[in-house]
Amino acid sequence: MTFSRCLLALTLTASVPLLAHAEDTGSKPDTQQSGEYLAKAADCAACHRAPDASGESYSGGYAINSPMGDIIASNITPSKEHGIGNYTELQFKRAMQDGIRADGEYLYPAMPYTSYRGLTDDDIHALYVYFMEDVEPVDNAVPDTELSFPYNLRMLMGPWNLLFLKDHDAQASKQSDAISRGRYLVDTLGHCGSCHTPRNALMAEKDDQYLAGAIVDGWHAPNITSDPSGIGHWSQDELVQYLRTGHVANKAQAAGGMAEAVEYSLRYLKDADLQSIAAYLQQVPPIRNGQALDVSSATKTTPQASATAFEPVRDNSPEALTQSDSTDGQRLYTAACASCHQLHGQGTQDHFYPSLIKNVSTQGDNVNNLVMSILRGVNRQIDDYTVAMPAFDDQLNDQQIAAVSNYVLTQFGNAEQSVDAAQVAELRNGAPAPWLIRATPWLLGLAVIVILLGIVLLARVLQRRRK
Amino acid sequence: MATQYDADVIIIGSGALGSNAAFELARKGKSVIILESGERIPRWKILENFRTSSRKSNYNDPYPNAPWAPTSFDENYITNTGDFEFLPGMLRLVGGTTWHWAAATWRYTPNDMKLKSTYGVGRDWPIDYDELEPYYQRAEYALGVAGSDTDDQNGQGGDPWPPRSEPYPVPPEAPSYYYQRLKERIGAEGYHFIHEPNARTNQPWDGRPACSGNNNCMPVCPIGAMYSGDVHASHAEAAGARLLTDATAYKLEKGDGGKIAAVHCRSSNGDDTRLTAKYFIVAANGLETPKLLLISDVANSSDQVGRNLMDHTGMGLQFLADEPLWPGRGQIQEGGIFDWRDGDFRRQHAAIKHALTNKVPNEAVTRRLLDDLIVGPTLDERIRHDAARWVDISTTFEMLPHQSNTIRPSSTYKDALGIPTMTVNYSVDNYVKRAGEVAKKDFANFVRIMNGEVVEDDTGWQNRDHIMGTVIMGDTAENSVVDGDCRTWDHANLFLSTTGVIPASGVINPTLTGVALSIRVADTIAKEV
Repeated sequence: MTFSRCLLALTLTASVPLLAHAEDTGSKPDTQQSGEYLAKAADCAACHRAPDASGESYSGGYAINSPMGDIIASNITPSKEHGIGNYTELQFKRAMQDGIRADGEYLYPAMPYTSYRGLTDDDIHALYVYFMEDVEPVDNAVPDTELSFPYNLRMLMGPWNLLFLKDHDAQASKQSDAISRGRYLVDTLGHCGSCHTPRNALMAEKDDQYLAGAIVDGWHAPNITSDPSGIGHWSQDELVQYLRTGHVANKAQAAGGMAEAVEYSLRYLKDADLQSIAAYLQQVPPIRNGQALDVSSATKTTPQASATAFEPVRDNSPEALTQSDSTDGQRLYTAACASCHQLHGQGTQDHFYPSLIKNVSTQGDNVNNLVMSILRGVNRQIDDYTVAMPAFDDQLNDQQIAAVSNYVLTQFGNAEQSVDAAQVAELRNGAPAPWLIRATPWLLGLAVIVILLGIVLLARVLQRRRK
Repeated sequence: MATQYDADVIIIGSGALGSNAAFELARKGKSVIILESGERIPRWKILENFRTSSRKSNYNDPYPNAPWAPTSFDENYITNTGDFEFLPGMLRLVGGTTWHWAAATWRYTPNDMKLKSTYGVGRDWPIDYDELEPYYQRAEYALGVAGSDTDDQNGQGGDPWPPRSEPYPVPPEAPSYYYQRLKERIGAEGYHFIHEPNARTNQPWDGRPACSGNNNCMPVCPIGAMYSGDVHASHAEAAGARLLTDATAYKLEKGDGGKIAAVHCRSSNGDDTRLTAKYFIVAANGLETPKLLLISDVANSSDQVGRNLMDHTGMGLQFLADEPLWPGRGQIQEGGIFDWRDGDFRRQHAAIKHALTNKVPNEAVTRRLLDDLIVGPTLDERIRHDAARWVDISTTFEMLPHQSNTIRPSSTYKDALGIPTMTVNYSVDNYVKRAGEVAKKDFANFVRIMNGEVVEDDTGWQNRDHIMGTVIMGDTAENSVVDGDCRTWDHANLFLSTTGVIPASGVINPTLTGVALSIRVADTIAKEV
């Protein structure tokens, strides 16, 4: 028996009394139950899913679109061959908190180990027990992540970790229980900052812009500090409702990554935990990022035209009935959008189809979410129904999406904003590359120096530890 | 040296059947070319065409009718020589006529497929239900079919039928008030109401949103909740298939060893292209497919190509009920009365389906009132009154295949590309006429039960646009065009994906069966190519 198997055996032995208890009552042992809940709160499933929606949870293979290229989510079921079935709890802890796999290779920080660094040992243990004992092993081989040079060099993460992998400070305990619980959920389990905090030149979260909003995979993860440009105009109840359903009528609807966070994680959280998250966010120090945003008083900017004004004159020729390259935003809106969002952008009375007037995606000063919703659609599974807006990327070209976006902005939203076809093209083809990627060719020389320095630094640290 | 081909498989037609075959082949790594005579048109544009149309009840009107790719409503598209004016509403664009079907997706029953051996009339299918069942399942998942797992679709109130290996992918939608009230009152006299399985998904499916009851399935679903063939045309392209539009196939070229060597197609400006492949699938609907075979003089050693035309020719009933039922909420079809779907009576007369039409009746109501010269405030009042009480029943009949019901290339007319249009000779036989008398008795019952005022109960025969039999499937090369795999008896590399292969029509809408057969064709070809 190998050392790691000994450890696993010890761990299993340790949990025998709990398992015996489970057989008695028919319920899961506390550790496993809390492990399952923690896995939801940590949103493991959103990334470690199969590429196909029908695939098994945690079996991996899903390609996470990162600026460096696709990072393939690993299989974290306890499959011994393809998953983490051979991980000891110590190895599991190192992956979760140091970003180092069982084989000693570095993980990319798409795995939010910088956030999970703050997990308590009890929670690590509960997660470990859950993944080892409660998750069904799936023998699904996942392809390797193959980033282009130099990002395929995982050892680069060594010096990166030295710079950016920090221990979480413990001053949370000074605040009320709800606030410190909220902070633990936001910073550690929920790793909200991995999307909502902008990143620096080396793709690490900027501490001084904590939760102040960022662009992720083309979507705008908005400012969620307590500033009026953030969630300053949101009540705690609204925040809780949004987190649970991704939908607050006449305010905001979750799409993109936030829809995934709701679908895979937040909707499963206890009300008390959602309340804690909301309470914590409401006292995060305000950072002004863009204009103050209160959509509750937003109104349609232009008077309503009669319905006939929206219909072009009919031309019966086959060419006219076929030609579909119009860039008349009103025509496009009327035919492509108004069936659901209604002719005057008001949505439906039951808010199933949301208003485009009282809506943060149209009233804010960032147009990404408007454009991305049109390009990619919206898909959000809630407990008893699925919200879906179809993607229009194959129906409308870049000029048309710009035109219809501008119509929405001028008629219903923030008329000071506009979209051009180049922006749409950039979002269609993947978000604009961050500085690091654009500068890579020029930086490679510099990178070599950084790597060498890193190796030297690392060697010294290791030497010290050995002493 | 090995022969070079333009593709492993060329598929003629990008409708629901051709596109599903294309997707299945492309995702298995086969090189596929799809030829489509029309163009690709985005949904928003078709919706705009519908809104600006002054002919709202003409379901072909939002779609281009080009001289080089005419819809069936083009003046000389079909010349009728029989006693029935046969004229289905066929379209020419990527996705085909499923742009304006109502997405009824029934399965045949085991008895439907063994009509001759069970009831001594018509023909048997050469394959049985069990062979088709797994493909029905795949077709239903491809289309996102909503259906009831508990209904006896034979309409006898028995156990669930026909047998299923898996549940429907989507549960049935909630019934409208109109459907519920008719079911309560007419059902009380023993008539069995059956939910209609349909591809108008009521929960998001494969990138399509849930139906929200726009009640506009025909002529275009405004939001794409209702399935149309362009879904799988796009899937096929994403999987690597090449889709060529403005490419009308006009000739299949015979090669060595009884195989088809190439297809010739023509563009709107007259350019001709010859394309070669190892296999060919003609998926150009039940009229254009036999026309292409006849023009090309292929696959017709049996002389059955273009014969046995069947269409579920129907009748209708409209009346005003004695209570407001509010038709027009939700989807335009929901189900119907299925007591005459199967039974020993099929020895004597056709099976009958009474489908409840739930379309907003305002136009029909208003036309009728204007014909009666009702105007002014009375008109408004009567529109509101009558539209709330309007009941519309669309009845269809099972058909038997007859040699004399034919579709032939026209000897008189040609389209703008110089390709002959069609001549159809079609009449309704006594097997159907006897069923018509039974249906009329039902009509009288429905009117009596609902204490109704008849608007129309003697419509004469009506088109139902379910084209079957024209390239009939059978068990010998002498009596049929294709075998049980939809492979032509005469050409080992030529398959037909069309409802035209169906040899026993039953009484249900045939498209799902066509898609199931088409997926099966793709599986067969994928093993060989």
